[in-house]
Amino acid sequence: MNMTQLPIIKDIYGFLGPDLLVGVVGLLLVLIFVPLNSAFLVWVERKVAGHIQLRPGPMEVGPHGILQSLIDAVKLMCKEMITPDLADKPLFWMAPCIVVIPAIVCFVVIPFSPVMQIRELNVGILLIFAFSSISGLSIMMGGWASNNKYSLIGAVRAVAQSIAYEIPLLLSTMSVIIMSNSFKMSQIVSDQSTVWNFILQPVAAIIFIICSTAETNRAPFDLVEAESELVSGFHTEYTGMRDALFFMAEYTAMFIASSMAVVLFFGGWHGPFFSGIVWFVLKAYFLVFVTVWIRWTFPRLRFDQLMNFAWKVLIPISLLNLLVTAIVIKVL
Amino acid sequence: MNTSYGFKQYVKEIFTGSKSLIIGMGITLKHMFKPIVTVQYPRQKPIMTPHFRGHIEAIIFDDTKSHHCVACGLCARTCPSHVIKVQGEKTKAGDRKYGKQYFIDFTKCSLCGLCVDVCPEKTLKFSDEYELAFYSRWDGVMDIMQRLEERK
Repeated sequence: MNMTQLPIIKDIYGFLGPDLLVGVVGLLLVLIFVPLNSAFLVWVERKVAGHIQLRPGPMEVGPHGILQSLIDAVKLMCKEMITPDLADKPLFWMAPCIVVIPAIVCFVVIPFSPVMQIRELNVGILLIFAFSSISGLSIMMGGWASNNKYSLIGAVRAVAQSIAYEIPLLLSTMSVIIMSNSFKMSQIVSDQSTVWNFILQPVAAIIFIICSTAETNRAPFDLVEAESELVSGFHTEYTGMRDALFFMAEYTAMFIASSMAVVLFFGGWHGPFFSGIVWFVLKAYFLVFVTVWIRWTFPRLRFDQLMNFAWKVLIPISLLNLLVTAIVIKVL
Repeated sequence: MNTSYGFKQYVKEIFTGSKSLIIGMGITLKHMFKPIVTVQYPRQKPIMTPHFRGHIEAIIFDDTKSHHCVACGLCARTCPSHVIKVQGEKTKAGDRKYGKQYFIDFTKCSLCGLCVDVCPEKTLKFSDEYELAFYSRWDGVMDIMQRLEERK
């Protein structure tokens, strides 16, 4: 987003101010990136799943099936969008529109490299947490409006789960924020230029990854859409592009959660030889791969196990971790 | 159960649990780099086991370079689904009859194998053909003598 590289655009649209220009160009890039990224991640997911189960995964469309998810997107766009008769029509229509808001807004504050950040905010991390809670709202709306028992159970589970897992998520983030004394994402990254926070805060990092897996409703915490119990959970009644929007939001949330983990614990854009963006994207996609790998390794938790794990294990440990961090920072 | 025992159990559970999770992830990672075991069906075709039952077909014997069917009709009579029709032919009077046409309606065949068991000349066997899907029900009616000629 360097202004000097775009002299012509600056001549024409300069009167609107650099902030607006950066915002517009950045959002356009995000709008291109989000669908392509989720198509790519769907392909990665299917490939990894296949190879873990000793089969090749998609192989037909394009080399090693890389165009498969684009073709699937075309198919989904051509499908009829069915609304159940007894559904709450406005809410049913609104839920998939709302679910993509956090997917797009959260990219605004992620620092891909020292210059590639759409908008620097002093409370960048809070913004991401605030907007990712919206996806919980849209799951609730979709589940309620479908007027279907499976959707409703899925939605209820989503709310219980996101309340339980947001606490350790925030607590583990808090211990990093205490260390760098700032909510600014670029500040946190530049504090890690010598030592990554993963080495200083391993417990917080592991808790953060576990909780972000739960927050994005991925296996083994995918009780929201547990296929074997709830058909497909909150999006049972959604068809065509609306279903695809939920999918897109899920995979983008995965990428955002991984980017957050990279920013908070894995040194952001820092790394030898390559420029910042390359390192950031490599680290983020590696963490996405770890999430996919976890999904195809572990079975789904039972609901009481899920709640016990959050309230009896993660919250005490993250509280203790925060306490120890605070004491150590104060003493040193 | 006193409190310190419970706390010890709690800590122990966390550690054993994490260990088993890491072992599990190691296993899946190892499997990810193993060669695939599935057959890519339309590209590769599997060879069926000797006991696979496809439709029946005539055996090619070495002495006549053809089948030994004498068109006795035992298979047609024993077939519980009445799907077999055999047409025999004699080249000259007093000669042995031999099978000229042998129709089976595979759409109704239950693959019971009675025809194979009853054949006095032991000239029938099950084929290892498994791509037996048809566009029309009349495509299921096949002449196995004709298929024998194609195989030769």
